[in-house]
Amino acid sequence: MSVAELPATLKVLERGWVSSNNIVFLGREQSAVVDTGYGRHAAQTVDLVGRMLAGRSLDRIVNTHTHSDHIGGNAALRRAHPGVQIAIPEGDRGVIGAWDEAALHLSTMGQECERFDFDASFTAGDTLVLGEMAWRVVASPGHHMASLMLYCDQARILISADALWENGFGVIFPEVDGDHVSQGEAFAAQQATLETIAALDIATVIPGHGAPFGGVDAALERAFGRLRYFMTQPERHARNGLKVALAFLLMIEGRIELARLPQRLAALPLAARINEQYYQLDPAALAAFVVAELEKGAAAHCREGWLVSGKQTAAPD
Amino acid sequence: MTQRDAQAWIDVAAQAKVEDPTLSPCIGVCAMDAASGLCKGCLRSLDEIAAWSSASETQRRAIKATLPQRRSLILDVP
Repeated sequence: MSVAELPATLKVLERGWVSSNNIVFLGREQSAVVDTGYGRHAAQTVDLVGRMLAGRSLDRIVNTHTHSDHIGGNAALRRAHPGVQIAIPEGDRGVIGAWDEAALHLSTMGQECERFDFDASFTAGDTLVLGEMAWRVVASPGHHMASLMLYCDQARILISADALWENGFGVIFPEVDGDHVSQGEAFAAQQATLETIAALDIATVIPGHGAPFGGVDAALERAFGRLRYFMTQPERHARNGLKVALAFLLMIEGRIELARLPQRLAALPLAARINEQYYQLDPAALAAFVVAELEKGAAAHCREGWLVSGKQTAAPD
Repeated sequence: MTQRDAQAWIDVAAQAKVEDPTLSPCIGVCAMDAASGLCKGCLRSLDEIAAWSSASETQRRAIKATLPQRRSLILDVP
């Protein structure tokens, strides 16, 4: 996939599927980073961002949305760069101000994040100057209702966060999570978000996870198709949400003892809610169901009483 | 998890990623080993991780080819 060359003032730190990518901007006067990865990886994030800054201090942190894999490095980056100003989406002021652990996915997904205070918020229609480029803030409800994207028409770059990946998009959490589970409204919002993206002139998408990519039309086609499938079969979307919740836990912990999996899943409110709505399985049956789903996609494998991440076929020596 | 178990898991997970030449070898461990200066998961240096997204496919292949032999440099398993 050919990717247009990125401007010299913009550097993408491609991370993995736990930590979001970090996009570093080196303006003449001001430096910035968009999204800061997962909390447990914060030391490496500080090191990597420091590498990019080459002795400069970090002036701004901008978060596209406040999930734990996008804000986890905020507190550590502030310790390393005490003057840094943190900006979050307008719609997330409440959850960050109150540090609402359920809304931040910390309690519902079994995740962790060091608390931080924000200095400013931004919203759709604003323009942010990052790396000497003007970035228009574009609303992207769906994966997270308050989520924002950044679009630079001069460079034809979209920073899409989890609204569009090369193959798909993030779980539409409002459809499976929260006190008032959405009844298709968040799917409709994601549809509108994809349509918004389709109307932009884009050479390169910098997604929240995975490598930057060109060929936005093909990515949109895949995303629209996937969304249509979920809208007609919401149970498949919920099943995917279950898989993602367990896969995330697995990536963080490396492996999970199968005997303890039923209780681990029962302790995840997101999994419990999805089970209640769609499956009504007892804890052991739910664990077996999710494990089978992960194995089907080769995202995990059972070995000697443990669920392990990835394609693991060889026995340990 | 014993050290040997953790080591076995990381080796296999890392191996699966090494086999695909275009994909990042990140396996989500993302912590640096102070002694070797390598990530305890993917075995890349900070410079290699930082430059990954702008590296050519040839450079990526070259980095990936060296990863398996670096494993012995990490004494401290996460």
